[in-house]
Amino acid sequence: MAEAWKGPLQKVDDWRWLIPRTYKKGMLTDGMIYASEKMISAIRKDQAPEQVANVACLPGIVGRSLAMPDIHWGYGFPIGGVAATEEKGGVISPGGVGFDINCGVRVIKTNLTEEEVKPHMEKLLSLLFTNIPSGVGSKGKLSFSIPELEKVMEKGARYIISRGFGFGEDEENIEERGAMEGANPEAVSTKARERGKNQLGSLGSGNHFLELEVVEQVFRPDLAEAFGLFPGQVIIMVHTGSRGLGHQVCTDYLQEMQKAMSRYGISVPDRQLACAPCDSPEGRGYFEAMACSANFAWANRQLITHWVREVFEQVFQKSAPALGMFVLYDVAHNIAKWEEHEVEGKKMKLCVHRKGATRAFSAGNPTLPPHYRDVGQPVLIPGDMGTGSYILVGTELAMQETFGSTCHGAGRVMSRSEADRRSKGRDIAGELKERGVLVRAESKATLREEIPEAYKDVGEVVEVVEKAGISKKVVYARPLGVIKG
Amino acid sequence: MDKFEILDHTADVGLVAWGKTKEELFANAALGMFSLICSVEEVDGGFTTQVEVEGSDYEDLLVTWLNELLYLFEAEEVVLKQFNIQELGQYYLKAQVEGEPLDPKKHHIQRVVKACTYYEVKVEEVEPQLWRAQVYFDI
Repeated sequence: MAEAWKGPLQKVDDWRWLIPRTYKKGMLTDGMIYASEKMISAIRKDQAPEQVANVACLPGIVGRSLAMPDIHWGYGFPIGGVAATEEKGGVISPGGVGFDINCGVRVIKTNLTEEEVKPHMEKLLSLLFTNIPSGVGSKGKLSFSIPELEKVMEKGARYIISRGFGFGEDEENIEERGAMEGANPEAVSTKARERGKNQLGSLGSGNHFLELEVVEQVFRPDLAEAFGLFPGQVIIMVHTGSRGLGHQVCTDYLQEMQKAMSRYGISVPDRQLACAPCDSPEGRGYFEAMACSANFAWANRQLITHWVREVFEQVFQKSAPALGMFVLYDVAHNIAKWEEHEVEGKKMKLCVHRKGATRAFSAGNPTLPPHYRDVGQPVLIPGDMGTGSYILVGTELAMQETFGSTCHGAGRVMSRSEADRRSKGRDIAGELKERGVLVRAESKATLREEIPEAYKDVGEVVEVVEKAGISKKVVYARPLGVIKG
Repeated sequence: MDKFEILDHTADVGLVAWGKTKEELFANAALGMFSLICSVEEVDGGFTTQVEVEGSDYEDLLVTWLNELLYLFEAEEVVLKQFNIQELGQYYLKAQVEGEPLDPKKHHIQRVVKACTYYEVKVEEVEPQLWRAQVYFDI
């Protein structure tokens, strides 16, 4: 098992724990972990806090090295890590984004209730399972030529919508309106293209899923109404990313930055934190390729949305608009972005790395679409399969403290081999069915590695961000059916 | 001497590989990685290719080698089980790898390995004629 972490964690208040910059040579700032007292003992069980301290060593880091309450042991950055670096003198690190670039979540609303959907659940799940490719190495149903793939990398979901796979208004309900600026397909290697080209429009495997849920609890009726959510409403959550394209882009640039670091006189405590100055050719190249992968991921979730709508149209014999199937929002939780934030009273352009953390912009942010500008951005937090999800909203305090960031999900607490041991001989799909959750999975192994007890309770995670004031709960949605890769 | 063993990691999976020589070590690490992906006993022959990679040291070379094999798995859609290391210096590796085109009916794919990371990567000669390597994969 992993070694426990013995470093200093100073309690700031019930929800904030500080790793002082004096803990370790090379730290340029303090680390800050958002967690409850109960979570801290679990967090200390492995090396995740050390990773928070390592991130604090990145040249040009602004503010603190942050970790959200779903923090767990990653490689390079911890999962749940947030760090901002400055434009001049700051670095960009592929390890601060991860291999699954723009892994993220989208929620599609319906105007259907649980009672209306329940009788059709088996059929819906079967059709969704057949129509949305999933599993290891799953391929999309459409083939895209290289010029088309380049358009996907440049224009993301917007290109897919222009090809007829979506509604015009989908675009404004996606972070970055579905296409990040600065994407340059020339920065993406042939290998990355080869790995990604057949996978557009597929869910993949691992923790990725598509889930039908019902809004069960409304915490803030005014915000729920602004988001178009009501009790008993069925919603669809899609969790996937940029597939092999993103994995290869990260692999390519990590290798390139390993070589470049000595040239720039940078040394980091963990090789997986390899980085390059934001304004260097390597740093710019990575950003351009990462933006291409992010756009690929938004295009991927857009295609899946289209097929989800088709399935519902077939089952309910009504058009998707008549079924109210509009996109609530689409968030990225593995990404680096150029954003403007106020630091010590001064506006700064920062490269915000979010690795397993979600952007949570508050009301008044000019980058939000008009209908969310007065309330703040919907923040979509998936739980593990079987325990449900939360929809939150960003707060002003998050803008001040966490560069407008919050948690991204439940976070693992159990290794895959341990989950495998504990689930041996068990009928996981049967257990979930007893709890009212139907499951279709491509692989039984994935199902066993992803058992609910392998994850932190998402409710506890969300409680911390609410109590700490960096997000507010809007609704809780209970799962009805899940498709796993 | 075991060829490899799996390490526990909360979110991902680690691998320790052993070899009497560094060539054997690199081959066993590759076998260990494919055993995470599928049951290698189910893999027969029929596909062979040359692989060449460069690195800045043994650790970089190991990570790059394993990532190159992951690329073959995903882009060429092949599962591999035989790794003949023909040349291995500090900065260069050349190998002939063998396996079979992926057949979902025959090969039971267990999990996706997204990439081999540089996190805590180690390649060392722990005693004469005993090499040990450690890597973590993003799953």
